[in-house]
Amino acid sequence: MLKTIIRKELLENIFSFRFPLFALICVVLIPLGMFVNNAQYAKRLRDYSEQVRLADEAASGLKIQDVMAGRVALKGFRRPALLSIFAQGFENALPRYYQFTQDGYAQGESASGDESFLSTQGKFDFVFLVQMVISLIGLLFASDVISGEKESGTLRAMLSNRLPRDAILIGKIAGGFLALAAPFLVALLLGVLILLPGGFPLFSGDNPARILILALASTFFMLIYFTIGTMISTSSSKTRTSLVAILLIWSGFQLVIPKLSDMTAALLYPVRTETEVSLEKSLLINSIDTETAKELGRRYDLIFGSTPPSAADDVNSPERKKWDPLRDDIQQRARERKAQQLASIEETYQMQKRRQQNLAVNLSLISPSAAFGRFVADVCATGDLARAKYQEAVRAHQKALDNELFNKVKRTLMMHSGGRISMTFSAQPVDPKNLPKFAVAPASPGDAVKENWRSLLALAFWLIAPFAFAYVRFLRYDVR
Amino acid sequence: MAKANPILKAEDLSKRYEDGILALDHLNLNVRGGEAYCLLGANGAGKTTTINLFLNFIPPTTGTCFINGIDVTRDPLEAKKYVAFVSENVMLYGNFTARQNLDFFAKLGGKPDLTKEHYYQVMRRVSLQEKAFEQRVKTFSKGMRQKLGISIAVIKDAPAILLDEPTSGLDPKAAEEFLEILDELKKEGKAILMSTHDIFRAKEIGDRVGIMKEGRLVMERTRAELQYEDLVKIYIDYMKSEPLTV
Repeated sequence: MLKTIIRKELLENIFSFRFPLFALICVVLIPLGMFVNNAQYAKRLRDYSEQVRLADEAASGLKIQDVMAGRVALKGFRRPALLSIFAQGFENALPRYYQFTQDGYAQGESASGDESFLSTQGKFDFVFLVQMVISLIGLLFASDVISGEKESGTLRAMLSNRLPRDAILIGKIAGGFLALAAPFLVALLLGVLILLPGGFPLFSGDNPARILILALASTFFMLIYFTIGTMISTSSSKTRTSLVAILLIWSGFQLVIPKLSDMTAALLYPVRTETEVSLEKSLLINSIDTETAKELGRRYDLIFGSTPPSAADDVNSPERKKWDPLRDDIQQRARERKAQQLASIEETYQMQKRRQQNLAVNLSLISPSAAFGRFVADVCATGDLARAKYQEAVRAHQKALDNELFNKVKRTLMMHSGGRISMTFSAQPVDPKNLPKFAVAPASPGDAVKENWRSLLALAFWLIAPFAFAYVRFLRYDVR
Repeated sequence: MAKANPILKAEDLSKRYEDGILALDHLNLNVRGGEAYCLLGANGAGKTTTINLFLNFIPPTTGTCFINGIDVTRDPLEAKKYVAFVSENVMLYGNFTARQNLDFFAKLGGKPDLTKEHYYQVMRRVSLQEKAFEQRVKTFSKGMRQKLGISIAVIKDAPAILLDEPTSGLDPKAAEEFLEILDELKKEGKAILMSTHDIFRAKEIGDRVGIMKEGRLVMERTRAELQYEDLVKIYIDYMKSEPLTV
């Protein structure tokens, strides 16, 4: 019986005018979006390779004198994410590179500066199509799934047979959804096939797993919207009423809730800007450096004040033997203090940001679209997780550069009584060719699943709750 | 000779809707195999509610409906095995052909193994034009839809047939053809319960005719009794009489 309903629903959809229209939209827009994004990705990759080459050249010509003079700023570039072809996510919003100096790192410009104003409305990628176009079509396909049968009276004809109501509901959802999913999946496959001649590494690394998850998540997302549409259709006796409700719900889920959640979180948990935090850090560094320079100058003057100048240069002089450990101790304490206080500023900032982001994420989960968007962006390595991994890599690279380069040069700045300033240097040899290379380890698909358990739970809720509602409504519906 | 058990039976059947309207008031009714029972009445008299209750589209407030001895409320799916339904505006899928519609409803009606030839035979039997068999139903006239509707009932081959104003809107020729098919079905032993506004057709096909007013069955006559009485006059008198619920 269920098979009969599914088959009928499938055929009814296929024979309707909207099916070829939907198939055309899928078959044209999905591969087109992938093709365009692939071309953009190839361009970004070329830019990236060229910039990395230039940065490597600059690094290999590095001289220790440049480090001593504080003129070294090494750049670490982020490799564009391959699957940004499917989900652009933060791809263009993330800094293209970070700049590393002995005073810390600073972010470079992002690619979003090159974009047009219209791109702020959403990037034309596969995920955008699924979120905005396919979701609406899913709802529209479901708009008359029950109300249409009520209106035309065919529901009475069906129910006059030995047919359980749950079989009708499940059969209609399954059949209608299959009619929707088939052209969509064919279009996705076509899109991937179009990428292959251009050298898209479909079978390399975990790409097959990521694309499979993306396809499954998108199909699941479509099913959610189809079920929400069915719920609305079950609750209304006229398709026109369903359509109005569907448009309201769609605009709420797609446009209002995701944007409101970020705004509400920012309002409830305001966080300072990165520039403010960076300024606070600079002020702290300056203040500690000045204090240390003053302390060093005072101690230096006490030790070397009454000795001939040669005593300071003679490493075996009793003054030097006293001065060297004292200087190292003062500098070490200053470094520790600086590190501790900088870490505290960073920790507070990150905690506030996390709290704000958590609230934004939790609020946005009210919209299945936001939950889906977050999850698939992480699967495609262009989401929150990619951003966190990027920042993690930046911090690790700074540490590695500190050890391998910046800390090889010891600068001792001293502010003597009377306002005189002096600086001494000591440097260990550095091999610029062996400096650590900047790389961001991508999060695995498993990490994306683990990290997005809330989004996945929200998506499951958005499938189960509307279905349960539709089920109860339909079972209790009085056919008149 | 003992009378056969009724195939359709309503016992003390009442329905009060959530808005308080009493649509059906203690209805008692029997229809035996080979018998056609016509329910006459104005709009809102309770005719469609009676049919809806037999089909378990709505639950009764009190009383019970039986189809082939099965309590409809207790075991609606089993009861529906024994009943076919034809409504005023036969509900069909416009984008399907006549045969596809027939195929779908035949499967729902528990006939999964019928062939194209079976469907064609049934459609020929109800005098649907041959060229319409593979035509999309959205191009059909009301008469053609009604014929297809009755062919769905025929193919189900259930012992009881419920018809809700089936001749409404049909031209006289189409209505006549429709009644001929019903007559054949009756002769095959089907129990037919038909709600209608059409007094003449009711008199023509009905072995018994009941008049409903405000949810009550206010009068019942057999075909034999109606030979000596004017059904039109009786009907109009009942319609003109004082409301029952004053």
